[in-house]
Amino acid sequence: MTARLIWAVGGTLGNAGLALLLAPLFQGVLRKVTARIQSRQGPPLLQPYFDLLKLIGKEDIESGEAPPMQRFAAYLALATVLTLAGLVPMGLPVPLAGAGDVLLLVYLLTLAGVCTLLAGLAAGSPYALVGISREMMTMIALEPLFAIAIVVGAIRAHSFRLDVVLSGSAYAGGGFPWSGAVMAAVILSSFQAFVQRVPFDVAEAETELMEGPLMEYSGPKLALFKWAQMTKLILYATLFVALFIPWGSGLPALLAWLLFWVKLTGLVLLVTVVAATHARYRIDQALRYFAGLLVAAFAALLLAGYGH
Amino acid sequence: MTSRDRLQQLQEQFGPAIQRADLPGDHRLFVYIDPAATRRICQYLFDTLDARYVISIGVDDRPYSGQFLVAHDFAFDADHVLCSVLIPLPADAPRIDSITEVVPAAGWAEREMRDLVGIEPVGHRYLKRLVLPDGWPDGMHPLRKDVPWNHVPPGYDAERPFTFDEPPPGCTVIPFGPFHPTLDEPAHFRLYVEGERVRGCEYRGFMVHRGIEKLAESVMGYNDIPMLAERICGICGCVHSVAYVQAVESAVALRPPPRAEYIRTVMLELERLHSHLLWTGLACHIVGFDTLWMQCFRIREPLMWIAEKITGNRKTYALCVVGGVRWDLTPPLRQELRAVLDKLETEWRPVVAAVAKDKNIQARTVGIGVADRRLVKQAGLVGPVARAAGVAIDCRRDHPYAAYDRVEFDVITAGGADVWSRLLVRTAEVFESIRIIRQCLEKMEDGPLAQPLPGDLPAGRLGLSSVEAPRGESHHFLITGENQRPRRWRVRAPTYQNLQAVPMMIKDQQIADMTISLGSIDPCFSCTDRLETVDLHSGAAKVWSQAELLALTRGGKAAP
Repeated sequence: MTARLIWAVGGTLGNAGLALLLAPLFQGVLRKVTARIQSRQGPPLLQPYFDLLKLIGKEDIESGEAPPMQRFAAYLALATVLTLAGLVPMGLPVPLAGAGDVLLLVYLLTLAGVCTLLAGLAAGSPYALVGISREMMTMIALEPLFAIAIVVGAIRAHSFRLDVVLSGSAYAGGGFPWSGAVMAAVILSSFQAFVQRVPFDVAEAETELMEGPLMEYSGPKLALFKWAQMTKLILYATLFVALFIPWGSGLPALLAWLLFWVKLTGLVLLVTVVAATHARYRIDQALRYFAGLLVAAFAALLLAGYGH
Repeated sequence: MTSRDRLQQLQEQFGPAIQRADLPGDHRLFVYIDPAATRRICQYLFDTLDARYVISIGVDDRPYSGQFLVAHDFAFDADHVLCSVLIPLPADAPRIDSITEVVPAAGWAEREMRDLVGIEPVGHRYLKRLVLPDGWPDGMHPLRKDVPWNHVPPGYDAERPFTFDEPPPGCTVIPFGPFHPTLDEPAHFRLYVEGERVRGCEYRGFMVHRGIEKLAESVMGYNDIPMLAERICGICGCVHSVAYVQAVESAVALRPPPRAEYIRTVMLELERLHSHLLWTGLACHIVGFDTLWMQCFRIREPLMWIAEKITGNRKTYALCVVGGVRWDLTPPLRQELRAVLDKLETEWRPVVAAVAKDKNIQARTVGIGVADRRLVKQAGLVGPVARAAGVAIDCRRDHPYAAYDRVEFDVITAGGADVWSRLLVRTAEVFESIRIIRQCLEKMEDGPLAQPLPGDLPAGRLGLSSVEAPRGESHHFLITGENQRPRRWRVRAPTYQNLQAVPMMIKDQQIADMTISLGSIDPCFSCTDRLETVDLHSGAAKVWSQAELLALTRGGKAAP
């Protein structure tokens, strides 16, 4: 009992700390690799840390239509991703495995998107409003995808327990995992959208909407939001690895842990390369793309229901 | 048909309404007409003879002829003729029939003429101020000769906000500008949107006026102005400087030495190369494809270096004087330039291939920002925008200047009339420019760089000059004057015409397509905003006043 409690508290703090600490580093890798693809030198690997420090040290200005909501949205954004960190396995067992089932995960993922909506509403400017209308449309199309992926895992593993579902459950059970394979392809094809990168960064599109919902943010609160976004990249990557790339988790603990981070880095590199080689979609084009994926996802759900 | 034949056509049609004409050569035509026949004659030129509308100019000629003067410039591109229809107006009643009804492209030019010279276009349906800010007192027209260049009128209110039109019912307004990451220069579009769809827009621009024309007409000399003209634009400055000196040269019948003409051609094409590469990069950036943007800029950089080697500057070449050029292309420089072009050609091919295959870019550009042949004609659109609609106009071929009559090149056209076609036209024109420079380097003759000026230049002569800028035709109208400076110098940058069509191009499109549609005309606001006597900004809600900001930037303490 005590051991479980210690792991729940210590593991959650460890995961959250690790996510916070490493997120800017992955961002740095992303920027460096992007720069190399673009024949640029690129900023130092540690630049995102400096950026965050700089922003945190700035004057805290509150502006827009509703400053209290603006404040709340920034705190909530970071709090949500940190809570998520306790619910995913970062190379070790899930710390808060007993705290809830996979549906909690689905809700928290949605909450992370809601923060952006709140931020845009707080700003109240036309650009922010266009940004949140795009964010909302994207959310409606996207959130079911990850939910279905998790539910497919749950069906195949015959369990809604976090630790069971988040250990390669997409391929659990007997026979060739058709549904799991389809969902792996679907999530991989929409991964850029979950982590808000080109070609699906429509809600913030700098050249169209000037950062959209985030336009009124500056200083420390912008730092919180940016940090939350960087962390989101790691968390989604973690979820993807846990659901679809489980191989090697049977290795000795240290090796398995290292292997997890190698997989994560691979995924971040993939995100980088895709972002650097594509133009941004328009919102209607993006939605049409998501609609196609949604059809595939429902097909996978049916397959899983019939045991394939 | 030569200018003489065109004059004959006009005389047969209108008889005594054609009062007199000047024919300096086969390619220029100046006709003075009866003010009462203005609209009929312009309609005949525009519709029946299918002339292209270029620009209208208001001139305060009272100190010299006791009259105001209006010039409507048209071009017969296939005949290589530039034509100016001149209408004298009485000093006490400067009113003229508006031609906007029959030539829609004249909408802005007539509003500008009303703002700056105080000539009233009678019958114009939308007489809102174009250039002057709303806080400027009525009845004060900065380009009149009795207004000093540095005069700020009493009663001028820099703080007064612009007035805007009411949006159509059911639409919300999204302000695009005055400052926006993709604009780079201040201009203000008020988009009327329904959801994500643009239903219309209002444009307010002219926020970075520098009083360039007034300055030239009142304090500078013939050979100071090329340096000023060059500063009209940060991208196509050489175009304006060449267009200006050619306008003077054509007015006083001065021909620069052949070597100078070749050097002008080389520098103009070098400018087009770097401009097209810059544009392609920015277009990619606008649709979120930053990798290609960075590659374009990398490929472009050696062009800037070679320009610096030739002229001492990456941009703003300080190349032209009336009668010639100031910099030579020595054999080692020519050698180096050839190498730069070879490298550019090999590096540009893969970029063009990558763009042509990219489904992603096509999804964002095909069928977007359409300006068809009809709009090109009605709005007087020029350059790649016109050529992308299949209208093969190019001043380099149609109104040859410098050494363009001695080199071979193709006028690139496309048929889609959309952003994608403009992209194809510009990327292909890069190869034509390389071809032109190579021929110039081959054919360049020895000889002097400039023709010395034959003493004082005569006053009261008219000059027209069109130069194909990377964005389209830059047209300069000039009347020589006293004290070795022009009486009137009117610059019409290509963006002046192309920008007027943007509201039509973005109508019923998505907001997301606004930036790339606007970007696709390669807008140059500083070119368009070249006139005026004072600096202003939008007057939108702001914490700092202009005076306070100026005080701040100059190190003083802002007034409370």
